[in-house]
Amino acid sequence: MRYYARKTGYFLLTLWAAVTLNFLIPRLQPGDPAEVMVRQLTGRDGEIDPTQIEAVRAMLGYADENVFVAYWKYLQQLAQGDLGVSFTYYPFTVGEVIGQALPWTLGLIGVTQILAFLLGTFLGTYAAWRRNSRFDSFISVGSTFLGNLQSFWIGMIILFVLAYELGWFPAVGGYGYTTPGWNWLFVADVLSHAFLPALTLMVTAPIGFILGMRNTMVQELGGDYIRLAQAAGLPDRKVALGYAARNALLPTVTSFALSLGVLMSGSILVEQLFDYPGMGRLMGEATSNRDFPLMQAILLTTITIVLTASFVVDLLYGVIDPRARKSR
Amino acid sequence: MRRRRARLRAAAALLTAGLGLSACATIGITDVPEAPEGMIDVLRLPAEATGAVQGLINYNWLSTNPITSTWLYEPLMIRDEFTCEAIGWLATGYEWESPTRLRIDLREGVQWTDGEDFTSEDVAFNFLMAKEYPAADRGGLWSDLFGAPAESVETPDEHTVIVTFTGSAVAKTDKILNEIKIVPEHVWADVGDPTQYVDTDPVSTGPFVHESYNGRQLTLERNESYWNAENVKVERLILEGQYDANSGALAMRNGALDLYTGDIPNPERSVSRSGVEYYYPPGGTTVLAMNMTRPVTGDLAFRQATAYAIDKEALALRASFGIMDVGSQTMLKLPIQQDQVPEQWRGEEFIPHDPATANQILDEAGYAMGEDGWRTAPDGSPIALVFSVQAGWMDYIAMADVVVRSLQAVGIDAKVVTTDPNAVDSMKKSGEYDMVLDSIGGGCQRSRDLGGRLTTSQIPDGDTILLNIARYDDPEVDQLVEDWSASTDPAQEAGYLSEIVDVYMEQMPYIALQYSPVRLIYREDNAVGWPSEDDPYPTNNMLRVITTLRPPEDAA
Repeated sequence: MRYYARKTGYFLLTLWAAVTLNFLIPRLQPGDPAEVMVRQLTGRDGEIDPTQIEAVRAMLGYADENVFVAYWKYLQQLAQGDLGVSFTYYPFTVGEVIGQALPWTLGLIGVTQILAFLLGTFLGTYAAWRRNSRFDSFISVGSTFLGNLQSFWIGMIILFVLAYELGWFPAVGGYGYTTPGWNWLFVADVLSHAFLPALTLMVTAPIGFILGMRNTMVQELGGDYIRLAQAAGLPDRKVALGYAARNALLPTVTSFALSLGVLMSGSILVEQLFDYPGMGRLMGEATSNRDFPLMQAILLTTITIVLTASFVVDLLYGVIDPRARKSR
Repeated sequence: MRRRRARLRAAAALLTAGLGLSACATIGITDVPEAPEGMIDVLRLPAEATGAVQGLINYNWLSTNPITSTWLYEPLMIRDEFTCEAIGWLATGYEWESPTRLRIDLREGVQWTDGEDFTSEDVAFNFLMAKEYPAADRGGLWSDLFGAPAESVETPDEHTVIVTFTGSAVAKTDKILNEIKIVPEHVWADVGDPTQYVDTDPVSTGPFVHESYNGRQLTLERNESYWNAENVKVERLILEGQYDANSGALAMRNGALDLYTGDIPNPERSVSRSGVEYYYPPGGTTVLAMNMTRPVTGDLAFRQATAYAIDKEALALRASFGIMDVGSQTMLKLPIQQDQVPEQWRGEEFIPHDPATANQILDEAGYAMGEDGWRTAPDGSPIALVFSVQAGWMDYIAMADVVVRSLQAVGIDAKVVTTDPNAVDSMKKSGEYDMVLDSIGGGCQRSRDLGGRLTTSQIPDGDTILLNIARYDDPEVDQLVEDWSASTDPAQEAGYLSEIVDVYMEQMPYIALQYSPVRLIYREDNAVGWPSEDDPYPTNNMLRVITTLRPPEDAA
């Protein structure tokens, strides 16, 4: 019981720290949201007009607030589930704005993450089973090589070749000329727009899973119970998948659960590159616009997802592995 | 063998699927209907909504991310920033009956897109709305910045509005006429706080009405009942896509866009060889602001020497590839405003690049050259100036670099430090800097645009950015700007301008470097009549540009 109490306490403490940091960090960077907004209207070389700033500041309504007052307000609002009004999309609420961007990221990142997990685990397992084979070295070396490349760089090449040079796929946006709705035309439009960013993500996304899976699997394969199973004459496939892979899968599942945090934050660079209307771009935009409410909401949900995922994993470990429960 | 065949088949399937998708690269695109004879079918422009999220529909020009803020709601008048004449728009004229009383004469026969008449009641409603909700007061009508706040609004008849102020408010003219976009009383009276109103079905006066929006692409249709409809020859506008300099140049080259106003730094090389024209008239002057409260930069001799030391030709060549001209120290836009240059400065509008004079001034002022090749301040202390420049703003960094090299050439130790643009703004507010770049607007409300830069009431206190970031402090200039702001006699304008130009030329709190552009990059295959070197007119208001466009057949 103490184990669970400790874990819950730890979870709550981290959550509070996260909420507080989340409030503080955006405010530590220089820049006044009203000025950023007016600057956007006038353009970079334009002169900033003090009267406009005064009006916009009044509109965004954070004027001359003491930090502690603002913090207290923030906690109160949070407790009521009120995330505030976005500065960038005033007068729309943060909820409405995120509601627009989230489906795109869930679709793009969600699908690619699941595919990457399946593909990566499969390739990792196979490479470990055939360790030191040509396939294994190809996969391991290839992954390490690709893993060092930045996804936006890969994306730039893909964009240049497939969209600009060959013109096979649309270069930017989530959809083009169709009207959003549940019809085939729109679905096809969305798919054709999602293909290139998904392809870009799929080059690097499985690598973590491949390497992780391969390494744990190689370790498991050295275990006595594998030798016993082989000595007992079980078929290779059963030893590999039923015993070794099953045990090796546990840490990979954990890392998959943790990677779900990306679902909220999206992939900033890739979304930026393909002008994809998802959470990553929204986050980038919120940061450069000093859109505190939007920034805080995205960070907070991301942190909460990651924390909850690791909390659940912790609890599950307690159930699965008695050693974790007893250890100090 | 069978395995290989299976693999082949899978690869073939994948390829087909890919090609199938790719065939749909332009799914759902429909042809634009043809326009009547003598009209332009369509012009394609970038989207005005800049956000990542574009599905939230709001045409309210007061919101921070309207789908369009150019084509629907209109201002009262448009100031020609070259000639400084006011061009009639929803209003046909204005007069300051006294420094505290402004009369605006409205155009007759203007209709809202729902058929209602546009009257003085609408304008009065807009002014009073800004009083009730300060957040909507974008013209600063009721604020005490730049002149006294308004007191009352009257509408003696259907086409006249009179605003009375608690004191002199002449300096507010252009903000009131240019900035405020008029919305209809019969719709907006019931919406409460106008900044929070989500305007999905706009009732406006402008040259276009919305036809469709799919969350990405906005199609606007010509407003048949527009008061100036005879001069609008564009049947449709399509606003779609967000472009940076590279994708914008690409889209301009292949004809996907007819107009782009973003920052293409070197149009001569990137677009102009492919049938794309560009016009980069001066919009304002990029200046080197010197901190007047610090010992070295606060010294007049040092500022004069700096002005002579800077190689402005080299600077313009590096910062804008020579597209923009060297800025005049008079802060007027030359050669367009040549006739407005005060008599005494004709022929001396530009400070020449002259290191010898710079060295001479420094020597005479006691900036002794040390053994190590660096000069020291008159009191003997070493000089180490910091030029703070916005990180990532390539042209600004290039300018700062040339300035610092020029200073080093005359023995002044200075260096460039790049920082977050927001941090540079903070420095301007707090005064914690030696040298920064700033932009002096080229507007025609000169008591404010040029005078405000020099008056003590515009010195920022650390929280809000104001105009006098150099912190120039002279009671005589304060009085001059105050008198100028209260002057209602256009005949006196030249006299005041002459006095304020004297300050810029002689005191040099801001050193003009090069003009900053108001960019316009356009194609002439669908429309002609764009502003150009041969036919110059200001590009700062697109409403004016659109009413001068004609179909290309007309040009022949």
